[in-house]
Amino acid sequence: MTAFLTTPRDWPAVLTGRVAALRKDPGDLDAATRAGAFEGLRIAIRDLGPTGTIATIAASGLRGRGGAGFPTGDKWRAAASQPAGQRYVVANGYGADPGVRTDAVLLAADPWLVLEGLAIAAFATGATEAILAVRADDQALVTRLEGAALAAEEAGFLGDNVLNSGQRVTVTIRPVQGAFMLGEETVLLKALEGKRGQPEQKPPYPTEKGLFGRPTVVNNVQTLAAVPWIVRQGSAAYAAIGAEDSPGTVLVQLRGPAGGGIAEVPLGTPLRKLVDLAGGKGKQTVKAVLVGGPTGGLLPPDQLDTPYTYGPLREAGAHMGSGSVVVADERACIVDLARLLTRFSADEACGKTIPCRIGLRRLYEIGDRIATGRPKPTDAVLLGDLAHDVAASGLCDHERLATLAFTSGMRYFRSEIDDHILRSSCPAGVCQPIAVAAGAAH
Amino acid sequence: MSIVPGMGMVRGMGFTLKRFFAPKATVRWPEQPADVAPKFRGRLQLLYDEYGTLKCETCFQCAQACPIECIDMGGIDTKGRFHVHWGPPETYGERREESALRRSGRTVPDAAFARFDPIDTTALDEILDRHDYDPRALLTILEETQAEYGYLPVGALKHISRITGTWYAMIYGTATYYRHLRLEPPVIEAESAGEAHLAIESAYRSALDASLGYGAEASAR
Repeated sequence: MTAFLTTPRDWPAVLTGRVAALRKDPGDLDAATRAGAFEGLRIAIRDLGPTGTIATIAASGLRGRGGAGFPTGDKWRAAASQPAGQRYVVANGYGADPGVRTDAVLLAADPWLVLEGLAIAAFATGATEAILAVRADDQALVTRLEGAALAAEEAGFLGDNVLNSGQRVTVTIRPVQGAFMLGEETVLLKALEGKRGQPEQKPPYPTEKGLFGRPTVVNNVQTLAAVPWIVRQGSAAYAAIGAEDSPGTVLVQLRGPAGGGIAEVPLGTPLRKLVDLAGGKGKQTVKAVLVGGPTGGLLPPDQLDTPYTYGPLREAGAHMGSGSVVVADERACIVDLARLLTRFSADEACGKTIPCRIGLRRLYEIGDRIATGRPKPTDAVLLGDLAHDVAASGLCDHERLATLAFTSGMRYFRSEIDDHILRSSCPAGVCQPIAVAAGAAH
Repeated sequence: MSIVPGMGMVRGMGFTLKRFFAPKATVRWPEQPADVAPKFRGRLQLLYDEYGTLKCETCFQCAQACPIECIDMGGIDTKGRFHVHWGPPETYGERREESALRRSGRTVPDAAFARFDPIDTTALDEILDRHDYDPRALLTILEETQAEYGYLPVGALKHISRITGTWYAMIYGTATYYRHLRLEPPVIEAESAGEAHLAIESAYRSALDASLGYGAEASAR
């Protein structure tokens, strides 16, 4: 199992606080309860009640860690206020980004945290069915989570009568697999319904019409993992952590030339600190930082003071996304990198909407043309126009954000792209844009 | 080859000039019959309509009239009840046409239809029973069906559609979307179901490493 990176001592450990206590056996419920597991659920049921719990979460300012950053309290309130006989809470632990294992590592290191968060969310929204969706390829993790859910049910934390409150919360572990798009909430709901995984138009949001048409709260596992801490320590304590408009901590998968790993960082930490945490810049200088996984943006060194949080990252041309921060040094070529990212996004497009299915493919082809030395003089303009159109007409965040690789590349590394197009040379020496010269020869 | 250059041209033009003044040769067909062999009855040809299917109605009139009995054919009678046949077994390519085969009551070897191999549905019925014939558990049903049969036979999808009442198109849509579901037997026996998606993910990781120039250090980790 990937270990967590040691972070500075003054950084709070909201999500990974109990990992040390459970190091010997994460499946040990007694050790977990001694360390405070299900204490938050007890407080929520005994002291706060459903509306009080929602108010606490809303006051803490917790925002969705799945990437979009929707306020969790509002989401719960929207689902709870819908009149319905059946509501659902779904924890999205799919972790679609191939380079990121934060969700799986968190679930494996402390399965009780997310189960407790699910139980609190279900209690607060009045849902009796809670579903934890995880990757099916990690069979050991699925077994461990199923065992944990069973043990928690036997101990009375889940099941027909949660902590003698009369409330029923059934947690089901659902292994899902087979597509990148399962990270998107409506796609995940489609998979749980047994349908083809294509996103739905929003609104209606899943909080109105979600799983099987019932109000559904879909939260990332990291969002739910923060919930017990907030209920236990109070919303003011949580709101004090990290950035002002989006408090809290988030798990980040760092990757650099000198190393990497998973770290829990407060939101609002400057990117520079994350780069240092990833092992620094190594022998060479930092050329770009890829923030947000395959659909992320490429930020130059002079943007390293950007705080790692929703708004400023989007303004800078990247996004939190999967929580991936990859440091690229001088050996990387921006065109080559953006081409690869766009290609992956295009390959993983579900095919529902045309801008995504065809637009991303064309974006990749333009990038490929530039990288292999067959660019047209208009390619730079075409790239910008097409990326703008795809982002403007997108249905889900996948296609809107998949253009970021090229748009941020055009924004910050225009001279390097121009070198490819106009001078047919690759400054990094990665691409071989020599076909123009060869074309002139014959 | 003539010795004098241009002689061929002169000869050709001479022939033209001779024909120019000769009387016209016009055969007034059909009043005046053309000079053909006494056994010739015209060229045998099956005609196609504008949709590309054979126009032949299998009425046997041509086969009955054929003086040298070179026509043989088969098909279904006009009420669609009996298989009728005339002549030795069909040997010509155009009689193996899809429409000709269907008319002659034979199986049509079509790739899309050939997959409808009958399957033993005992195991599938057990799976469906376990899930209460509930189409909402379709993904799980498909996964278990694949675990049982090794892949998703079209017969199994048809069976699920018929038993649960779900549209075949929806089942097919689900089955073709997820990478771990496959509609053909695996090429390599031991290949596990989730392999396809994991291969793509690891390909992305190594491509990203290559693009970043991590190469050697990354593979060591």
